[in-house]
Amino acid sequence: MASRTVAKDIITLRGSAAIVSEFFGYAANSILYNRGVYPEESFVKVKKYGLPMLLTEDEGVKSFIANLTAQLSEWLEAGKLQRVVLVIMSKATNEVLERWNFSIETDNEVVEKGVSRKKSDKEIMREIQAIMRQIASSITYLPCLDETCVFDVLAYTDKDVAVPFTWIESDPKLIANPQMVKLHSFDTKIHKVDTLVSYKNDEWDEQ
Amino acid sequence: MILRTPPPKRPRDAAGEPIIECPPTAGGSDRRLVIYEDPSPAGRESSHQPSDHLLCTYQCRQMVKSDFLDALTNVEKQVRDYQSKLEELNENFSKAEAERKKFRDQFLYAEQELAAAKGREGVLQEQLLKEVDDSRERLKKQIQLCSELEAKHRNELNLRRKAESAAASAEEKASLLEGKLTHLSDSIEREKKRLNNEVTQLKRESKSSISRIGADLEKMECRAQNAEKESEMLKNQMKDLKEQLNECLNQKSEVEKKLSSSTFQEFSTTDSNILVKHLQEEIRNYEAEVREARKLKASYENTELLKEKLLEEKSRRERVEQELAKLREVQQSMDQLEDELSSWKFLIRDIPGVSCSEDIPVKFAALQKEVIDSMMKLGEANAQLKQMEVALDAAQLGKQSAETEAALVKEKEEVSKSEVKRIESMLSVVTEERDKLRNVVNEFKKPKNDGGGDERANLTLTKELESSLAKKEEFIEELESNLHAQQEINSRQRDEIKSLSEKLNNEERRIKSLERENDRLRSEISLLESKLGHGDFSSENTKVLRMVNTLAVDNEAKQTIEALQTELQKTKEKLQAVEELKSQSGDTGKLVDSYISGKITQLKEQIATLEKREERYKTVFADRISVFRRACCELFGYKIVMDEHQRANGIPVTHFTLQSIYAQGDDEKLEFEYESSNTNIMVNDYTSQPEISRQVDIFVRKMNSIPAFTANLTVESFNRRTLS
Repeated sequence: MASRTVAKDIITLRGSAAIVSEFFGYAANSILYNRGVYPEESFVKVKKYGLPMLLTEDEGVKSFIANLTAQLSEWLEAGKLQRVVLVIMSKATNEVLERWNFSIETDNEVVEKGVSRKKSDKEIMREIQAIMRQIASSITYLPCLDETCVFDVLAYTDKDVAVPFTWIESDPKLIANPQMVKLHSFDTKIHKVDTLVSYKNDEWDEQ
Repeated sequence: MILRTPPPKRPRDAAGEPIIECPPTAGGSDRRLVIYEDPSPAGRESSHQPSDHLLCTYQCRQMVKSDFLDALTNVEKQVRDYQSKLEELNENFSKAEAERKKFRDQFLYAEQELAAAKGREGVLQEQLLKEVDDSRERLKKQIQLCSELEAKHRNELNLRRKAESAAASAEEKASLLEGKLTHLSDSIEREKKRLNNEVTQLKRESKSSISRIGADLEKMECRAQNAEKESEMLKNQMKDLKEQLNECLNQKSEVEKKLSSSTFQEFSTTDSNILVKHLQEEIRNYEAEVREARKLKASYENTELLKEKLLEEKSRRERVEQELAKLREVQQSMDQLEDELSSWKFLIRDIPGVSCSEDIPVKFAALQKEVIDSMMKLGEANAQLKQMEVALDAAQLGKQSAETEAALVKEKEEVSKSEVKRIESMLSVVTEERDKLRNVVNEFKKPKNDGGGDERANLTLTKELESSLAKKEEFIEELESNLHAQQEINSRQRDEIKSLSEKLNNEERRIKSLERENDRLRSEISLLESKLGHGDFSSENTKVLRMVNTLAVDNEAKQTIEALQTELQKTKEKLQAVEELKSQSGDTGKLVDSYISGKITQLKEQIATLEKREERYKTVFADRISVFRRACCELFGYKIVMDEHQRANGIPVTHFTLQSIYAQGDDEKLEFEYESSNTNIMVNDYTSQPEISRQVDIFVRKMNSIPAFTANLTVESFNRRTLS
């Protein structure tokens, strides 16, 4: 029994990459639902991380996120991914309204030597659950998106990464003088993911 | 001749009777037999034939016997003594042996301890070496840091100097501005005084004008009253005159009647003439009266006018009074404003670095910035403080460990000292023992000298003892030398400890400075982290990729497709309806045809207007181009002709031909090929001339500058033209 639990607690690079990319998929879905980028009725409820999560049923978005997570998983396994950013923009003006920033720190020793680390699944799930809760509760402080919005995904990678077919080099789509809120982070002992949301400072509200 | 030195010892075997011995000289000894008669030959013989001498006389024999017996008893006693002494010595020797063993053990123990101390020393040395290496490395790092810090310090100094100079300039500016302020305040005060004067003047003027106006008014009132009276009088007069006039008119009519009647009466002509004259005079009088009446009427009108004027004046007076009230209010408000102005001025004076009111917002902004900066600095300082605390704790821990190490080293030193003391005490004990043994040996030697051949064994023993003693002394010397060495090592270690403690202090200082540096760096890091959080990245090792998102585009495309499909369906329906209509009636078909033809003509017209517009654009464009070309020619001295060619492989190439306005012939042309922002000179007759080709080589090929080449060529041909 003890040996089995020990075996379960060991985490490999591939496993870590799978956890992190899956997290991105669910996080993207959750953000798109909570921020109302896609209509509420196009989402369906599933249970994940001990929480009711919402997944899109729109075929286009579904395939987009599937491709995204596959590519991210590949980069994560190579240790080349530094950051993933989900950008929400105004459809009319293309102005960046929100940046959901997921910074990734990779344990290079694992990538180079192929060693494994120890951390229980339960603990990782608990950390991810906290982030998901924070994403869901972010609508309380984020400014209302009262115009039609579109989203984009940016990946900050190492310079030597070959650009895949469905990706293009881009500007970082920064927000000038943003408000920033740091969310929880989770760590698989191989990949550490820090979450931060920065959004456009609504000057009219302050005045 | 008396021999002082004892004769060489005879071997025991050679002596037949070992007990009696007669040396030739017996200087004062009772125990030896002495023959007095012939001392020297008897002495010589006695050594060979002792029995002959013993048998000299009875007396002598008795004497000798008694002597011999005495001597024998003495010797026996001595032998017993010697034996007891020997036993004692043997005991002593065994004791000494045991002690020697003990000493040896002690010595071995000391050696072991020495080896252990050496081992410890080696370990300590290694440790010290390691520490020295570590400290050296640290020192190097520190030196590097120090140099960096020095550079920074220099920068800081420069910045400080700049800031000081800026402060000085700012102070100068401030003093200038203060001067201006005082000047301005003076001018304001002057202005104020002037305005006060004006106000008082205006007041006076207004008062005087009011009084004047009042007087005028009274005058006018009087005049008006007079005029009214006059007018009444005149009215009366006028009435009278009117009555008179009526009378006159009646009289006149009567006269006329009379005249008409008198026309028939010629006799009365003279009277009538007189009458006429009278009447004419009367008429004149009346006319004069009428004039007066008119005058009176005019004066009456005048009075009315005056009345109106009076009313106007009254209204003006009222207005003036109102204005006066307002003036008072204005004065009050002015006073208030002045008070406020003075209070503001005081405020401005109180604010440092502000010379005029325009500076205040700037100052406020600067103060706000300062507040924000100071808040940020406070936060940074707090962070630094915490880090410093942490570092301090670490340093204290390090210090404590170093202190414990030092204490350990001291303890070791004390231990070694005590060891040294122990060894010294042992040494003293050993030396004492040695001295004692030496004494014993000396004592032993003395009787041995007396004792004779019996005690040779003792001698060998003493020799052995002496040799062992000598060995022991050597050992002791070795131990002493070891002791010295250890003492030296100890002193060295102490010095090293001192130097290490000094280094420790230095390191602590360095650690503090490093902590400060660390804090600064951490604040920088926090700044950078905030930037990083914002989304900044270094383009050196990061690139940003975007996943091609066609979702929005797809949506739009779907929408447009749907819209187009609906439109298509609608048009299809329309077409169907039209066709049905066409089939139902030919006229409607014609109608449709005419509509279509109308549409076509409309479109043709549109096309025509567009073509016209295009023509016009072309001409305008050609004009602009020609202006541009002429300007280029004027400015750069070359006529430029552009045409396009196609190479053999079908790639289009733009071809430029340049002709200088100072060219002396038509063949002086430069030809260039322009292809994908790349201009190449082409070889022709002109450029293949040696002078030109040299220039082409220098300017175009080597320096890679066509403008320099063309400019040089222009200057040369200009010189040629003007000089020739």
